[in-house]
Amino acid sequence: MALFPIYTIFEEDFVVQLIPVDTEDTMDQVAEKTAYHVIDRRVKPKEGKVLRVRHHESGEVYPRDMKVQDAGWRPTETLDIIFADE
Amino acid sequence: MSTLPREEWYDLARTTNWTPKYVSEDEMFPEEMSGARGISLEDWGKYDEPYKTTYPEYVRIQREKDAGAYSVKAALERDNFVERADPGWISTMKAHYGAIAVAEYAASLAEARMARFSKAPGNRNMATFGMLDETRHGQIQLYFPHTHVRRDRQWDWAWKAYHTNEWGAIAARSLFDDMMMTRDAIGVAIMLTFAFETGFTNMQFLGLAADAAEAGDHTFASLISSVQTDEARHAQQGGPALKILLEHGKKDEAQRMIDVAIWRSWKLFSVLTGPIMDYYTPLEARKQSFKEFMLEWIVAQFERQLLDLGLDKPWYWDEFMRALDETHHGMHLGVWYWRPTVWWNPAAGVTPEERDWLEEKYPGWNDTWGRCWDVIIENLKEGRPELTAPETLPVICHMSNIPIVGTPGNGWNVKDYTLEHEGRLYHFGSEPDRWCFQVDPERYKKQMTLVDRFLAGHIEPADLMGALIYMNIAPGETGDDAHNYEWMKAYMPEKQAAE
Repeated sequence: MALFPIYTIFEEDFVVQLIPVDTEDTMDQVAEKTAYHVIDRRVKPKEGKVLRVRHHESGEVYPRDMKVQDAGWRPTETLDIIFADE
Repeated sequence: MSTLPREEWYDLARTTNWTPKYVSEDEMFPEEMSGARGISLEDWGKYDEPYKTTYPEYVRIQREKDAGAYSVKAALERDNFVERADPGWISTMKAHYGAIAVAEYAASLAEARMARFSKAPGNRNMATFGMLDETRHGQIQLYFPHTHVRRDRQWDWAWKAYHTNEWGAIAARSLFDDMMMTRDAIGVAIMLTFAFETGFTNMQFLGLAADAAEAGDHTFASLISSVQTDEARHAQQGGPALKILLEHGKKDEAQRMIDVAIWRSWKLFSVLTGPIMDYYTPLEARKQSFKEFMLEWIVAQFERQLLDLGLDKPWYWDEFMRALDETHHGMHLGVWYWRPTVWWNPAAGVTPEERDWLEEKYPGWNDTWGRCWDVIIENLKEGRPELTAPETLPVICHMSNIPIVGTPGNGWNVKDYTLEHEGRLYHFGSEPDRWCFQVDPERYKKQMTLVDRFLAGHIEPADLMGALIYMNIAPGETGDDAHNYEWMKAYMPEKQAAE
């Protein structure tokens, strides 16, 4: 259990942001922690959509229950948080 | 006593490449300071400056310029323009002075490097005047805002900004350190005078002077015009240096210096001048959009000059043209959203009329940046101002030292350009930013952005308050909305009617 800094880009937002997460966090928690800094601040929520975590460069979408410590990220890895149907 | 006309003695008098007797040429002109690049002293002697002046002429003209600007200031002192000026215009002045005034002293040192170390006598002569110019610019741009320090503490940032770790100041310092403080004489001639001053100073000074006159700020307009006339002269030092490099087969190196300097300058101006021209300047005082100004004064001018000299347009020209539609809107939104972290009060500039203007100048604005502003406006309307303020940091580009932004909403395209170098992961706001790093990683690899400093534990406590302390932003200096949210009335017709 350790603090882990990541950089995230939220779909339809305009900026990359620093988001401190925990190595024990799941991808859903990573998305939620990013959404706190974006949704209803600069982007409206989308009904019926879930948030998924995607590697910014490779495009790999991570399983929702995968933990940060298992994702093989480097500190300050860049990730997209995207709206998806499931 | 009659005197010879200047043209009959000037060339002879400034031909000062004597053969040194007590030291070697290399001791007199060390390569790391001179940047002769293997070109002989004799060939540098062929440098032909297009603008020739002499010390008596220089002093007479400069005295007239100073007398003019200071007289306008004195005459209008009782007019109290600042008291009745639009707050957006006040923010323009505060942002300008903080970002520019002290950097003028750095420019003076850069001119001094050419004055002492350039192997071209014509360059040394012109740079001597340039050095005096920049000292004057530093002094006058500190003296004028000083009058207003009694009004509020943000005016003091004209002097203070460069002495802090405020993020915008770090970005400006990084650029000017790169172009002015850490280059040899020929590097300065090309990167500072040719690339930066020919284009970007023109934009900041000509554009602002026009907007200032239109806004009724004749003191600022006369100051800015006074500075600009010096720039127009000493910016001409780069061209003849480029000619000599090209004649000696150094095109690739010259082109690289230009490409780096233009891109880096553009990025700083996208955060400084872009928001000023398209958002802070009152709508009725705007002469041109930022993009129109860039296209007229920089793009057309650079294209012509570069091609005339036998150089190419920078390789990223298409990306540059695309960015003219985009980057500064993101920078503005970021500066406004993170407004407590700047030394001026950003004007939102998004009333319905202003949005119509933005849509006209930048088709699609409402579907992209407008979408983010819609949410901000909704929050202000519904009494949720806390959601219009930041709780984390934007990621900062390792080259430009400003946030990594892109288009939001329907045109969403935000991209982080990463690079792993010697085990460290770097982040850049564009492909050209990353390229600037790759051209010379030794020069840039140790730079720490504000976010790096935060992650390294330099900022305590690790929150917004800690960041403000780290950036030396004292109470009474933090930025807030320039118009104190008065512009929101346009979105609240029922309340407006009730009043």
